[in-house]
Amino acid sequence: MRQVREHKEDLLQRLPRLQLVLFGLFLLIAARFWFVQVVSGDYYLELAENNRVRELPLKAPRGLIYGRQGRLLAENVPSYNLKLDPSRSQDLEKALSFAERCLNQPATELRQALDEGGGAGSFRPILIAEALSHSEVAAIEVAALEFPEFAVEVGHLRLYRNGPITAHTLGYLGEVSQLDLASDASPLKPGDLVGRKGVELAFDESLRGADGQRAVIVDSRGRFKEEYGREPAQSGQNLNLGLDLDLQQEAARYFEGKAGAAVALDPATGEIRAMVSAPSYNPNIFSRRLDRDAWRNLIEAPEDPLQNRVIQNTYSPGSVFKIVMAAAGLSEGVIDPEQTVWCGGATKIYNRRWRCWKQAGHGHISLHRAIKESCDVYFYHLGQELGIERIAKYSRQLGLGRPTGIDLLGEREGLVPDPDWSARRRGTPWYPGETISVAIGQGPILVTPLQIASLMAAVANSGYQVRPHVEESPSVEKEQLTVEPWVFERIGAALWSVVNDQRGTGSAARVPGIDVAGKTGTVQVVQQKTWIKSEDLPYEQRDHGWFASYATAGDKQLVVVVLVEHGGHGSTAAAPLAKRLYEIYFRDYLDNDQSS
Amino acid sequence: MRSTSGTISTTTSLPDERPFLRQLATVRWALLISALLISLIGLVTVHSASSELSIDYLPRQAVWLGLGLLVFVVAFTLDYQFLTKFSLPIYTVAMLLLLLVLLVGKEAGGARSWLGVGAYRLQPSEFAKIATALLLARYLAGINRRFLSFGQIMAASSMVALPMVLVALESDLGGAAMFVPMLAGMLVVAGVPWRYFAVGAAVAIVLAAVGWNLVMLDYQKDRVRTFISPGSDPQGTGYQLRQSKIAVGSGQLYGRGYQQGTQSQLRFLPARHTDFIFAVLAEEWGFIGVATVLLLYALYILNGTKVALRARDRVGILLIVGLLSGFAFHVLYNTAMVVGLVPITGIPLPFLSYGGSFTLANFIAAGLILGVDFRRHVNR
Repeated sequence: MRQVREHKEDLLQRLPRLQLVLFGLFLLIAARFWFVQVVSGDYYLELAENNRVRELPLKAPRGLIYGRQGRLLAENVPSYNLKLDPSRSQDLEKALSFAERCLNQPATELRQALDEGGGAGSFRPILIAEALSHSEVAAIEVAALEFPEFAVEVGHLRLYRNGPITAHTLGYLGEVSQLDLASDASPLKPGDLVGRKGVELAFDESLRGADGQRAVIVDSRGRFKEEYGREPAQSGQNLNLGLDLDLQQEAARYFEGKAGAAVALDPATGEIRAMVSAPSYNPNIFSRRLDRDAWRNLIEAPEDPLQNRVIQNTYSPGSVFKIVMAAAGLSEGVIDPEQTVWCGGATKIYNRRWRCWKQAGHGHISLHRAIKESCDVYFYHLGQELGIERIAKYSRQLGLGRPTGIDLLGEREGLVPDPDWSARRRGTPWYPGETISVAIGQGPILVTPLQIASLMAAVANSGYQVRPHVEESPSVEKEQLTVEPWVFERIGAALWSVVNDQRGTGSAARVPGIDVAGKTGTVQVVQQKTWIKSEDLPYEQRDHGWFASYATAGDKQLVVVVLVEHGGHGSTAAAPLAKRLYEIYFRDYLDNDQSS
Repeated sequence: MRSTSGTISTTTSLPDERPFLRQLATVRWALLISALLISLIGLVTVHSASSELSIDYLPRQAVWLGLGLLVFVVAFTLDYQFLTKFSLPIYTVAMLLLLLVLLVGKEAGGARSWLGVGAYRLQPSEFAKIATALLLARYLAGINRRFLSFGQIMAASSMVALPMVLVALESDLGGAAMFVPMLAGMLVVAGVPWRYFAVGAAVAIVLAAVGWNLVMLDYQKDRVRTFISPGSDPQGTGYQLRQSKIAVGSGQLYGRGYQQGTQSQLRFLPARHTDFIFAVLAEEWGFIGVATVLLLYALYILNGTKVALRARDRVGILLIVGLLSGFAFHVLYNTAMVVGLVPITGIPLPFLSYGGSFTLANFIAAGLILGVDFRRHVNR
């Protein structure tokens, strides 16, 4: 073997130096691990927990709403919603065109929903389609592997079984507003549905319940592995209303093609039995969060279908106001019920000619006949004698010009005018002539149909009023009036004659076998110079027709107030509905009566 | 220990008569023991890391470990002087295999670096590293000078450049880069004047610029970009980096327990049983586990260095230096990558990561190192 003298020493000197460098690097790495694991370990542990734990809301089912006799008015039906998580999407365009094919919905709509929900940069799933059919759900689910960004979520859709018929009373749901979310105390989350109108709004908190939460462990693809914790949802409380669906349906049918309002209530308890406003709308479209066009159409409609005319519109009371006038006159001792006034079809007060609706005049007329035949001249004189201050005082006493306190929101208070109001709001003095107009329910005085119903309840109860409410509840809030019972009894007798006597203006509401008492009213929308039949005018100028009434049969009572906008005279436009509602409400009594 | 070749041996018996077994006992087996300990930890960790996968990689890795011991014995038995003598033919064969991969290779993980042999896949670049180390050791050992000349450095570099280019052409940049520390370690020990380090740094910068623009693929560039600003791509490479750091950090001091790491068990970690196996270990065993394994690696390198220090010739020293440098860099780069110190690239961890060719190559290296130790007295 060839033996070469090798220089190993240099190598052996350099080797430990190399080793030292390597061990230095090892120490550096170890230090780095120490820093990440021991110094910042808590931080990374929390990140690891956030990685694997997802908190999923458990939606509390909203309370159901029942009418009388346990008839279901609002329920929750399962609905499949499509959510898109842009942060998990590789190709958003491809995903959207896939959804377009599956759902038969234009991609522009889906994209709009996506943009409104937060856009492509969102890190939470966005609702892009609702109420999917079973076949649509199947089409999406089949491609779950290819499109992990989609998730079909089972939600609940609010369903109002009777749609437009109960729309104004029940109201509807809407997505929670930014304003509501801003409050720290609010348990609501973006996208939650809350009551927006009617009962759904007024009873929102108890109907809503409390959402629960489910913590689940997921893997890196967001797939469910196991449950980690659960806080169950608390269902909303069911709500029973005093609403009688039969009356509601009948009233809604009557108003088809018309505008106006009808309200029926039990004068003993104040429970609302029917509350109809026309024209109506389908509240079920609001249960879907995405139908913005329908919403816009409703808001912009000139006939205001969203308005609940029973509590949110004010009208002149017309001749119905004569009830208040009579109560004031009798209480103040201004009128002797037996004394007569001459009606020649018109009278002259404050140098102005005031017409009675009946051109031929009523001749010598007492209070009873004046109410029964709705003589204007009698009340012109009464108004002149009472003066506006006393008229206003009794109006307020009987519930006008202030909210009735119904358990719904958005009630208007109407207007009881007096000189003080005139000076403050109009900046002009009160003209004595205005008092004469107010005396027959024209002029600046304004009432809601519900206020008139409350007034009729006072007459039916001979002296006390009850707070109206839609919720079926045994507690009754009574308000004793200073007007004495004999006054109401006197007026009640006259109102009975309105319906049941010869020449009474309310004979269209007569129901043989039960005692219906009421008052018609006709409100001139445009002041007419002469006697003109309302039917000859264009629709917008036609009179509003009122019929305010109550009926008693056995131990049951019902107040019905009907207002038909531009319907002409109250006796023909409004009274027939009252008759039908009484026939339905008292049908048990009527059947027994016939059989016995 | 060097004293054994001194006075005592001459008085008791002739070197040739030294019993074979007694000589075998003097070999630094601590190196093999640390390698085996790491391998056992590797088996356990591979099992945990693949428990969420469709196949458990533990049995396969156990087979590779068995084969590894076999090739260790072969490498230990073969005389390194004989191997270095024939290093040129070995090198040539390795280069041909790399060429073959380019022509008929299989693609996996974005790199075309696999050669199918029946049902098995081999990665010739791992063996090319050993072949190159052999050739370099022979070349540098023959230069019996205190310092290398510029021409000699260039010659040595070109021996490494050929396999590097071939591996880089397979789009396995990590694998290609691993030739550099091997060369660097051997050059440093063989003697490089300091001024050449400055030149080398300049050349490295130029090469990096050229590589960035001409050689690197988009996914490779992304890795570097996200390393420089991790927030730029939270879903892609940045995601891997982030998930790895979360795994490591959440292990804290004592770890979350075996198979209790949520990052690995719930698949947040990428490449759990291969490149990111150290993150799995860090998550489940905490800093204690990390420190233990790092210590075992340090022991391996320490024992390897000890072997080199008592090797009988330049070839032996340089061969060990080359093999150890590559080994050390693998360990350092992989662990640094897992805690986000360096960009992500496909560099596995020796003895710990799952992988056939890589495991075999590491056992061959261990066999060669201890083979040098076994033959330190021969022909003395």
